[in-house]
Amino acid sequence: MRRTLKSSRALRVLVAILLASEGSGCKSPGRNDADTTAFRDDFGSAITFDTPPKRIVSLNPATTEILFAIGAGSRLVGRTHWDSWPDSARFVPDIGDALRPNIEAVLGAHPDVVILYASNDNQGVADRLRSAGIQTVALRIDSIAQFRRATLHLGKIVGEDARARSVVDSVQLTLDAVRAATAGLPQTSVFYHTWDSPLITIGRNSFLNELVVIAGGRNVYADIAQASPVVTLEDVVKRNPDVLLVGPHTAASILASAQWQAVPAVRAKRVFVFDTNVVGRPSVTLGMAAVNIAGLLHPGAIR
Amino acid sequence: MRGSRWVALVALLALASIVALALGVIPLSPRALWLALNGDGDQTAATIVRTLRLPRTLLAMLVGAGLGISGAALQGALRNTLAEPYLLGVSGGAAVGAVLAVGAGVSIALLPVASFAGSAMAVALTLYVAHASGTRGDPRVLIMGGVVVGAFANAAIMILLANQSANTVRGALWWMMGSVGDATMGNVVVLAGYIAVGGAALIVWARELDVLALGDEAAAGLGVEVDRAMRRIFLAASMLAAATVAAAGLVGFVGLVVPHLARMIGARRHRPMIVASALVGAILVVVADVIARTVLPPSELPLGAVTAMLGVPFFLARLRKIA
Repeated sequence: MRRTLKSSRALRVLVAILLASEGSGCKSPGRNDADTTAFRDDFGSAITFDTPPKRIVSLNPATTEILFAIGAGSRLVGRTHWDSWPDSARFVPDIGDALRPNIEAVLGAHPDVVILYASNDNQGVADRLRSAGIQTVALRIDSIAQFRRATLHLGKIVGEDARARSVVDSVQLTLDAVRAATAGLPQTSVFYHTWDSPLITIGRNSFLNELVVIAGGRNVYADIAQASPVVTLEDVVKRNPDVLLVGPHTAASILASAQWQAVPAVRAKRVFVFDTNVVGRPSVTLGMAAVNIAGLLHPGAIR
Repeated sequence: MRGSRWVALVALLALASIVALALGVIPLSPRALWLALNGDGDQTAATIVRTLRLPRTLLAMLVGAGLGISGAALQGALRNTLAEPYLLGVSGGAAVGAVLAVGAGVSIALLPVASFAGSAMAVALTLYVAHASGTRGDPRVLIMGGVVVGAFANAAIMILLANQSANTVRGALWWMMGSVGDATMGNVVVLAGYIAVGGAALIVWARELDVLALGDEAAAGLGVEVDRAMRRIFLAASMLAAATVAAAGLVGFVGLVVPHLARMIGARRHRPMIVASALVGAILVVVADVIARTVLPPSELPLGAVTAMLGVPFFLARLRKIA
């Protein structure tokens, strides 16, 4: 008698929890957004899909990589000159630039849908493609949050909703794990080297700034909002970063340069090379990028 | 030109250099600057001054001197006070040569040679067009021809950059607007060599410039072979401009403004004119570079944009006077 009562109470609690979680899941705005086939893209155009597209042109290296990751790579019939990830992207025809692409080349690929990078340069391109009767989706992917949103939208568009969710979740789990591993460690101040002449680094609005923070670092140029500001070497000396994060082709030339010796971190040979296979694109490798950077900034914290 | 004015020019150049070494994101007092130059005191200040500001200031000085001499020689030979390497298309041609050379992977020491080839072609084309309106050309036809040759050079560079990544294009545009930000002692030594040779040649040929100023017939009567003299003066002036382009990109209007300033302080004959133009040019570009790197910290302005801001009003005033 007592046992039955106990178990039925447990059952009621379980049912209550299930109901509660289901209810909150439906109300969550992020999930709701991705659940509808209709949404507004980053140029504010209403997007609706009746059937998943069979021929896709992706004019942004990040969206090309995401489409491959969610299993729509075989449907790509065009990409930009700069799309080199994953390796199989090479077999997709090269259509040219991501900004102001050649519209005739895009039309020549006979796409059902064109995925554009939502930069002002592409506003006219989107208008002309739509007036030519091509479904066009403009997505801005400049931050981790925008990567999540774009991936869920792309999943809906190509009918690979579940895979899109699992890609987003796995990136998020990795980012959370890195954040947890570096939490409480002393922050390493970082100068991230993007380009040499002019000297370009990352500002607060770059997704790389987000990654540096997650990896337990502090970008010395986080006070500048611009994503890719031009700075002077003298100012880098003044800000005195603990370490430099540079690409593989740059490290040797910086260490050998007389000018760069003015930066104490360079004299101390604290110039670390990030892995360009995972760092540099706001895409499915964001989690691995955080792991890579955290491993450079806090060796030992990441296994 | 009086002796006191020479002393004043040298003193001004010294003052501008001291200011250039002292100012920046970390400003230094005269005492801190002295310590830094000797490698004493604050080590950060010492490395900033010795490895960044010193080569940069020296390169700015040499760029100014080279462009000043080049402008003085071109203005003298053409008897045209609007002549200037940038406006004659010389610099644009040099830039095409340099971009092609960088694309082909040529070493830094030979970069001026490639620029020179480009500038020689551009100047030949400009002079050929202007020749249709007389031996030395109508000043306006000459400038028009030069501007169009320069526009062609720009277009050629844009075509060369068409397939490059966004950052390469941004870098190339930056370089075309001129900058001494990448100065190293290596650049300084290379440019100093080219300027010593070109400047010495023009100082030796300064008497021919004086005679050419009297007019072609008078010059021929005084035993100067006009065409030959013109050709070698053009070659030397183009080489100077090309060497500065290879070292610092396109820095416009210095060659235009500087000879006028030299004339204003009393340089008449071409020998003092060339030396004074070198000094005035050096002062002007050192000051322009201080403005370029201190106005908008932590970023900096392209040097060529600053010199254009200073030079364009001057050019327009001259043009109005001629018209």
